[in-house]
Amino acid sequence: MMLEQKVKITSHQKIAPQVFLMAYASPQMAAQARPGQFVHLKPSGPGPLLLRRPFSINRVKGSNLFIMYRVVGRGTSLISSLPKGTEMDVLGPLGKGFEISRKYSEHVILAGGMGLAPMQFLADRLKAMKLESRIFYGCAGKKEMLPCPAPGKIIATDDGSCGYKGFVTDAFLTCIDKFKKPVVYACGPWPMLKRTAMICRQHNIDCQVSLEAFMACGVGACQGCVVKGVKEYVTVCRQGPVFDSREIDWEQEFGL
Amino acid sequence: MKNIRTKNSIDLSVEIAGIKMKNPVLAASGTFGYGTEYLPLVPPGLFGAVITKTITLLPRAGNKPPRVYETPGGMLNSIGLANVGAEKFLKEKLPELLSHHPVVIVNIAGNTMEEYVELAGMLKGRPGISGIELNISCPNVKQGGVAFGSDPIQAAKLTTLAKKAADKPLIVKLSPNVADIAAIARAVEQAGADAISLINTLYGMAIDIDKQRPVLGNITGGLSGPAVKPVALYNVFKASRAVKVPVIGLGGIMSSDDAVEFMLAGASAVQIGTASFVDPSAVKEITGGLKDYCLKKGYSKVSQITGKLAV
Ligand SMILES: Cc1cc2nc3c(=O)[nH]c(=O)nc-3n(C[C@H](O)[C@H](O)[C@H](O)COP(=O)(O)OP(=O)(O)OC[C@H]3O[C@@H](n4cnc5c(N)ncnc54)[C@H](O)[C@@H]3O)c2cc1C
Ligand SMILES: Cc1cc2nc3c(=O)[nH]c(=O)nc-3n(C[C@H](O)[C@H](O)[C@H](O)COP(=O)(O)O)c2cc1C
Ligand code: FES
Repeated sequence: MMLEQKVKITSHQKIAPQVFLMAYASPQMAAQARPGQFVHLKPSGPGPLLLRRPFSINRVKGSNLFIMYRVVGRGTSLISSLPKGTEMDVLGPLGKGFEISRKYSEHVILAGGMGLAPMQFLADRLKAMKLESRIFYGCAGKKEMLPCPAPGKIIATDDGSCGYKGFVTDAFLTCIDKFKKPVVYACGPWPMLKRTAMICRQHNIDCQVSLEAFMACGVGACQGCVVKGVKEYVTVCRQGPVFDSREIDWEQEFGL
Repeated sequence: MKNIRTKNSIDLSVEIAGIKMKNPVLAASGTFGYGTEYLPLVPPGLFGAVITKTITLLPRAGNKPPRVYETPGGMLNSIGLANVGAEKFLKEKLPELLSHHPVVIVNIAGNTMEEYVELAGMLKGRPGISGIELNISCPNVKQGGVAFGSDPIQAAKLTTLAKKAADKPLIVKLSPNVADIAAIARAVEQAGADAISLINTLYGMAIDIDKQRPVLGNITGGLSGPAVKPVALYNVFKASRAVKVPVIGLGGIMSSDDAVEFMLAGASAVQIGTASFVDPSAVKEITGGLKDYCLKKGYSKVSQITGKLAV
């Protein structure tokens, strides 16, 4: 059940170049949120921003929801300047999250860059359910690396400054045969997701991807946030943001 | 004893083209989906009427993404009338829509005049549908849409045909992308429109300077939101002075003050679109604010605001 609420920022800090971690309190949203879902938010009151901005729920702790985001434009740069205590308008939790099933013996998370954002919550949930999970996290280099407190994680960097040198998908590929009956959850830039989907198809592995799109309503009313599915356009906000990778037409020209 | 007016005694109801509505705030086409998407957030019955997403004869996939983008004070969209098509709409969407919203107006568009006529015919005899809004003003489709809305002769011809085919009040939705809005308004009035609504979105575009490409997949789109309000207000002012039928105003209405401006300029009712994206319960604030305004000005009915502009 989605809610529209005014909430207060309870903590806000810079955690890497251009990347911030924000928390706000909402017991109701915290109780309902599922990994992979997102919130649609903007600062309260009139201001330079018109539309809300979508962000994955990074983590839930008690009644706090965490958002981890990168400053890329007007909205995120404004949001990054909001001090603790500022009121925001939040719609959430929105969308379909990851589907977690006990039929898999291993739960493999692939995160590229900011794609790490929804994965902490997923890893927390898998752990709480006592399911075997493993994170592969890829980023440009050591300097861009985001904090990812998961034991046994495998790191890949494009420049080789830390961990495996190369793409996170390649790091995964090197040990793909070690997994018995895995499921893959992926979030990151389109080319990474596409590569992940191809690898999983070749190896007959179920794969769930979390997609992004520009949004207006966030609830499925405007048809603004679509991507091409194999049959028809699908709304990222309502039918997603998490999709079975087989439902998506990976050949479409896409990229925000 | 002095008759003391209270907020509760203000009559917000309006009647437009014979359609009775409990308040003059309507959900604009394309921004409220099929009327169910916002249900968890917006209790049904808050809007005077809900206008559906444009329905076309055959299903439409819509335009290539990205389809929406924010610009200063506004938003661009190039949805392209994505919808399930008339048959599926009537079978699957309409019954649910009607079960939640008492007053439903169906917005329609076609590629050709014949398609508009066929659609109006399909809605004939359908109980529950209170009216039809003819979309001759969508900037995001190649055929039909704004092509019919920018020429008074074509607009009139289409209105005449649709009026003949329909058994419901006909609202014609006009485009601001025209040289003389009064001429179009008069033409559709003479052709039998029971009311007119305006504005649809303005042509617009945005460019990604890194990629040196248009942001929208469709290259151009339609601009809505606060940025278009002065243009919309001007069009409502002009059009409402040119016709006798009621005018429904929209374009950038975000607050009750905005709604009052449109009514002062001549609108009998207003629609809100982009405002619902920003704040799904905007309708609540706007109807509440209209009551406050009436109270302050000593009006007992909201309809008393219409056309009160002193010029
Ligand atoms: C379901 C969902 C979950 C998301 N979760 C996160 C998250 O957890 N952390 C995070 O940092 N970001 C996340 N994003 C992306 C985030 O919404 C955008 O970065 C943000 O809206 C940009 O706003 P802006 O005003 O700063 O950018 P604008 O000024 O509007 O645009 C500047 C540039 O930002 C990029 N951009 C804009 N909107 C998006 C978008 N929706 N997705 C990707 N790039 C965009 C474009 O390249 C654009 O040119 C998510 C997006 C979606 C759809
Ligand atoms: C995402 C979006 C989709 C729209 N779709 C339609 C549509 O299908 N039919 C139509 O007549 N108008 C459509 N419109 C136009 C709106 O109904 C309205 O005329 C316009 O947005 C101006 O009002 P606003 O500034 O309150 O949004 C759409 C507008 C937006 C923003
Ligand atoms: S953002 Fe409106 S349908 Fe997804």
